[in-house]
Amino acid sequence: MTYPILGTGAVASIGADPDEIFDSLCAGRSGLAPLRAFDRSRFNAQQLFEIDDRQTDGVDEPGRAGRLLVEAVRQAVLDAGLSEDLAEIPVLVGTGLRELRSLELWWRDGIPFDADGLHFEDVLKRRFGAVDTHTFAGACSASLYALALVWDMLELGEAETVVVAGCDVVTESMFGQADRVQFDPPSSVRPFDKDRQGTILGEGAAAIVLSRSVPPDRPVRGWLRSVAVNCDAHHQTAPDAAGVESAILLAQEQAGVTPAEIDLVMLHGTGTPLNDRTEAAVTARVFDGHGPALTGIKSLTGHTSGSAGLLSLIMALRCLDQGVVPPVAGLVDPLPEGAGLRLVAGESLLAPLGLAQVNSFGFGGVNAVAIVGGAA
Amino acid sequence: MTLAVTGIAVALPGAADARALLQPVRPGADPVDPAALIGKKGLRFKDRATQLGLALAQAALTDAGIWRDGEPTVPGDRLGTVVSSNLGNADTVCRAVETIAKESTGALSPMDTPNASSNIIASQTAIRYGLRGPNLTVCNGRTSGLDALRWAALMLRTGRADHMLVTGVEPDNEVTRRLVDGPVADGGAALVLSRHATTRAKALLGPVIRTARHVDTAEELTRRAPGGDLWLSADDQPVPGSARRIALTGWGELSGALGVVQCAGAVGWFAQGRSGPVYALAGSAGAVLFAPERAV
Repeated sequence: MTYPILGTGAVASIGADPDEIFDSLCAGRSGLAPLRAFDRSRFNAQQLFEIDDRQTDGVDEPGRAGRLLVEAVRQAVLDAGLSEDLAEIPVLVGTGLRELRSLELWWRDGIPFDADGLHFEDVLKRRFGAVDTHTFAGACSASLYALALVWDMLELGEAETVVVAGCDVVTESMFGQADRVQFDPPSSVRPFDKDRQGTILGEGAAAIVLSRSVPPDRPVRGWLRSVAVNCDAHHQTAPDAAGVESAILLAQEQAGVTPAEIDLVMLHGTGTPLNDRTEAAVTARVFDGHGPALTGIKSLTGHTSGSAGLLSLIMALRCLDQGVVPPVAGLVDPLPEGAGLRLVAGESLLAPLGLAQVNSFGFGGVNAVAIVGGAA
Repeated sequence: MTLAVTGIAVALPGAADARALLQPVRPGADPVDPAALIGKKGLRFKDRATQLGLALAQAALTDAGIWRDGEPTVPGDRLGTVVSSNLGNADTVCRAVETIAKESTGALSPMDTPNASSNIIASQTAIRYGLRGPNLTVCNGRTSGLDALRWAALMLRTGRADHMLVTGVEPDNEVTRRLVDGPVADGGAALVLSRHATTRAKALLGPVIRTARHVDTAEELTRRAPGGDLWLSADDQPVPGSARRIALTGWGELSGALGVVQCAGAVGWFAQGRSGPVYALAGSAGAVLFAPERAV
């Protein structure tokens, strides 16, 4: 079945709501900045795509992931015309790093914290009175994975309306582990460029409201056609072309669409040598001459971990709605595997668009691919 | 669609199978040794929770008949897993931030990189046992174990997989003990939930629910499946006064493992010939399990 998306909400380093984020993508505005609260003397890499929301500049604080989540959910609920009382509405949250930043501050600096603070039950209950809340830690595809469960709930009639969200702030442990193995940190994120040098983490939250039907007189932001999920079962950090390809084919099959019907692919595009090579090769094989427009958002938002999939999906809906595809910023010379692909570079593409595919892949080979249609 | 528990595994100090959960905890039992259960190969550099999860997975998959002689007996793309763990990689994260504060990222071990990701148990389990279907990690507090069961059931019902391995596991270490302010159960349980109730059925899955309050959850469970024999609940308040209750608190805080260990307890109960429904309560989540005889 196909389910209406009734509302969207998002925050990222380049904007405080979906409109601002989309405008920044079109204008090429980047959220990359020097480390805002980590001790710069401890890291080789000196830049992240952080959200500038700390109360005191340079001083970190706990609970930021939950705060971003609440803001994205608030926006989505408002956009959907719902009240902020979510007592009867399930809220599913996909996250790569939960409140692990708060855990770090507890262990290192002694701020008050306990095990119940690791997930988002308490913040969602406090702010929205939500009862049926769920936190999934699924690396970088977490929020699209959560969306798959929402599709299942709607399909089986287990809920009438559901909120699904993703959120992440950067942890020192994840940034530090990446820093440890990245001797020459990239100065920017350049997905699908032959000279790309790796990814840089970012912060963000995204939320959408889905329902089994459209309430009378409500506008629709788009339609969810399918979400496929699988696992490479191949390698802890490296992607596997077979797993990625089968997730894409499964999503298209479940949506009942052929590659030729897809107008836009919002790529996972992290800017790492391995992801982009694999994703480009699989995309070329799957679409085999049918040329959907291809773009991605991470050169300007950074890799926002578990929230990335849903943020990409919301941006895909904007593209469909406005007939505008912002370019992959920083893409100058496409990688060899991308030869013949319609990667949008340089300036925005203007075209009528009907259907989009959204890719999201995570550590451990956890793949999620969604197909969405425009509101029209 | 009736879903059946077709495989079960338990790994807690002094409790190596489902029936042992119903016995008093043996004081001073040795910690579970994953290497003794599945061999040392592939366990190096894995954190404690992942090692325990891998051992549980092998035992449950073998018990369900879908892992034999080192490979799956059914197509890997129809096998998925849901792992429940709240505290699994907390020690890796805390050690890393401590090392960075004392020295710099240069002092970190690159081998810890995958362990910084909270889905490490589920992804390692998939890699080792070839589970190419849905791969989900639930970190949802005390309801996590029963939540994991709910999501596994949902994905089976929509046809995303034929069998889902559900693992609940937590590690005991200095970080996790401080986090929960007490001892942590060093281990957990795993089960295989299957679309088709076969002769292997050890229990059948009834309703899995969640309400605002545990007393409401308890009431709803008895309404939907009256006449139960046993409550598996750490808390006595929501349980009817006359009912038999097993707390499963003797191993320390089970956290994300709780709901799965409760299901294993129900399987142990049915294995003793009991046939009435068993209720599991974890926080405000609840589940009912039925004896396998109802299948026929």
